[in-house]
Amino acid sequence: MPNIDEVKKRLTDKFKGDITNIDQPVNNRLFVDIKKDKVKEISNEVIAMGGRYLVSVGYDRLAEEGVLGLIHTFSLDKDSIMMALRTSTPENEPIESITPDIPNAGWSEREYMDLLGMKFKNHPKPKRLIVADDWPADVYPLRKDVPWNLMPPPAENVAYELDKCPEGCTVVPVGPYHPTLHEPAHFSVFVDGETIKGADYRGFMTHRGIEKLCQTQLTYNEIPFVAERICGICGSVHATSYSQAVEQAAGLKISRRAEYIRTIMLEIERVHSHLLWLGIAGHLIGFDTVFMQSWRVREPIMWLGERLTGNRKTYGMIVVGGVRRDITPELKEDILNVINKIEEELLVVKNAVIGDTAIHKRTKGVGRITKEETIKWSLVGPVARARGVDIDARRDNPYAAYDEMKFDVPVFDDCDVWATVLVRIIETFEAIKIIRQCLDKMPNDGPVLTEYLDPLAPGKHGLTCVEAPRGEVVHYLITGKENSPERWRVRAPTYPNLQGVPLMLLNDQFADLPIIIGSIDPCFSCTDRVDVINIKSGEVQKMNRHELEEMSRKYKK
Amino acid sequence: MDILLIFVNIVIFLALAPLFEGVIRKLTAKVHSRQGPPVVQPYYDVLKLLGKENLVTGNLGFKMAPVIALASILTAIALIPLGFRENFLTQYADIITIIYLLTLGGVAILLGGLASRNTYGVIGASREMITMIMVEPVLAMSFIMGAVKTRSLGLDSTMYSTLGSGYSWSLALMLLVFIMALQAFVGRQPFDIAEAEQEIMEGAFIEYSGPNLGLFKLYKMLKQMFYAVLFVTIFMPFLKTGFFIADVAIQLVEVLVVIVLIAVLGSTNPRLRIDQAVKYFAVLIFLSLAAVGLSVYGI
Repeated sequence: MPNIDEVKKRLTDKFKGDITNIDQPVNNRLFVDIKKDKVKEISNEVIAMGGRYLVSVGYDRLAEEGVLGLIHTFSLDKDSIMMALRTSTPENEPIESITPDIPNAGWSEREYMDLLGMKFKNHPKPKRLIVADDWPADVYPLRKDVPWNLMPPPAENVAYELDKCPEGCTVVPVGPYHPTLHEPAHFSVFVDGETIKGADYRGFMTHRGIEKLCQTQLTYNEIPFVAERICGICGSVHATSYSQAVEQAAGLKISRRAEYIRTIMLEIERVHSHLLWLGIAGHLIGFDTVFMQSWRVREPIMWLGERLTGNRKTYGMIVVGGVRRDITPELKEDILNVINKIEEELLVVKNAVIGDTAIHKRTKGVGRITKEETIKWSLVGPVARARGVDIDARRDNPYAAYDEMKFDVPVFDDCDVWATVLVRIIETFEAIKIIRQCLDKMPNDGPVLTEYLDPLAPGKHGLTCVEAPRGEVVHYLITGKENSPERWRVRAPTYPNLQGVPLMLLNDQFADLPIIIGSIDPCFSCTDRVDVINIKSGEVQKMNRHELEEMSRKYKK
Repeated sequence: MDILLIFVNIVIFLALAPLFEGVIRKLTAKVHSRQGPPVVQPYYDVLKLLGKENLVTGNLGFKMAPVIALASILTAIALIPLGFRENFLTQYADIITIIYLLTLGGVAILLGGLASRNTYGVIGASREMITMIMVEPVLAMSFIMGAVKTRSLGLDSTMYSTLGSGYSWSLALMLLVFIMALQAFVGRQPFDIAEAEQEIMEGAFIEYSGPNLGLFKLYKMLKQMFYAVLFVTIFMPFLKTGFFIADVAIQLVEVLVVIVLIAVLGSTNPRLRIDQAVKYFAVLIFLSLAAVGLSVYGI
């Protein structure tokens, strides 16, 4: 168990000349500046110390220093340390790829090939990842000289070249639109009969460039609301993680009461998200009764969200410096009633699901990968916990009020989809437990919003994580001039987990594909409006939010 | 009079099959804690589909498939003795005819799925084929058991076999097997593997729309009611009054019971995988063979 000083010592001893600076702004964060030739060796050393790869951050410093910056971030879960290895490279000089040893870095590195024009040596799959097929090859959108709203003309006859189909297999396209996926993404699945022999993924079809948008157009205080819209289901985690990163960079300490309210919001979100997932999982194995019943159980928490924040979802509650609304004693009572009812009803659903042998048939032994593979691929959240990897950011890198909470982290060794079902059901009960503790222990005084009036100094780094329902969210922030970040990197939990999907699919049946992809709980978002068209007169009547709500309430018992 | 009964059969089936489908949808909704569509929704669905533009791939097999499917099931319906009254055609048919006609409907789905030249359609067709191969023996055995008892392949005598000989152990076993295979006969959960919306998006039907899809939908509803009628005629003949109208009415009430069973089974089971289903069917085939074996010895 190395503590933070031992980590520093071990690195400086081994790579004396290659580490130029070590920065430790807060107790459990390490920012290490290293020379670019040793990126691979030092990364491997961090992994050997028990580190888990999180994400890489690339940023443009061409105008200021003539270099492109690259940061690899790691978490030493057992020691509650998060660290960043910072390096940089001139525009045309390649940098050693860490993907051969740390496969999960594959997407991050491909991302910076696309977005910044970085070059990586020995990358096993240097294909396009993010930008569209017809995006011009020499325009790197994340560079500062490219405007945020640039729209290159569309090109004809360009297509992504999928991996080659193995001999004797046929290609079954799943996506870009498929009932299993709920969002545009393309899995090209290679099947032999009904057995899956491989898969290639082409996604990022709805990449919105939120990072670039926020870096160039928005200010610190506006970003939490956009951050929340990264995910339609677990938005608060992004707002929280971003706000924490700003607070960390600024050295701002928010009030304890605000931290408790954040914790309550995050756990309410977890309850609704896990119930939503349970329903979808039921639907994916063709069991709509589980689907409808879990969503019925979930509904009261959506209404609770509306009473607490004004919205069923996308609460807009968490901002830099604290939260926007207080939880009054009446609302406390309300929360208690709702979670008690949900706990009671969920117990029925849980017993029904756990006792149903037909569900076991469809989920046990499906999507099996070993614990070693899970660690190697740096998978996170329930996906990892279902495979015996005992990680949970709430416990390992406590934030908000989690340091005072008592809860269990369910870990199973089944290594299959069934275990992810169990993990999520148990976590929902744990979340309810945490909400109760919060309501119990929450201090009654203190402002909900702590103001920070000084301008934020540029060039400060912040690295934070939040345990979202789907796994761990990581945000990296570099402060900039003019009241907005220089670089803000978001890593959603689906980002690492999706990279592990082809491995989970291997040698499973095609019929299991929906539940395997579903088992990582891929994130999707939809914002629909309804037009009612009178067929006879052709008259279009737009239903506004109010009318839709009235309608939904009319039919609600 | 006998000739008129053919039309009575067809009219009753066409009029009531969508209603039973509606009952299933309503019941499923109740199990889900949903409000559900009105019971008459399937009529609207079929009518609406029939009134839509007909999009075809220009391939003859694709165009013919829904027609063949519907024609085959309607022919089968025309033959059966509804309400224990043989019609003009019953005497010309035997159990082989019925099995062939029911298989023809499945073959039409295969034809449509393969002719649509869609990857999902082909997967659906292959799953449909596997299901057909595995389920058909069970259907055949339940007829053959009647044939063994009455020593005749005639449709009427086979279907009345229980009426004549009463309940026996072999019949009880066959009844059990038939109930276990019922969901596969009517293509519902846990055996809607060939359609599996979440995996292959309705499989063989993926390219169908408008009137063609409407015909297929009607075919599926008729087939569902047909199996229910088959079930009550063979296994539940105990309330025969001798009056045609009363007998038909009693049978339809019994059909409703079977429909409720289908709805409950369908809404409380997840879909199986095709490899799991094949193992399940293998057991059923074995059991149905055993039932026929027992009936040979008069048990």
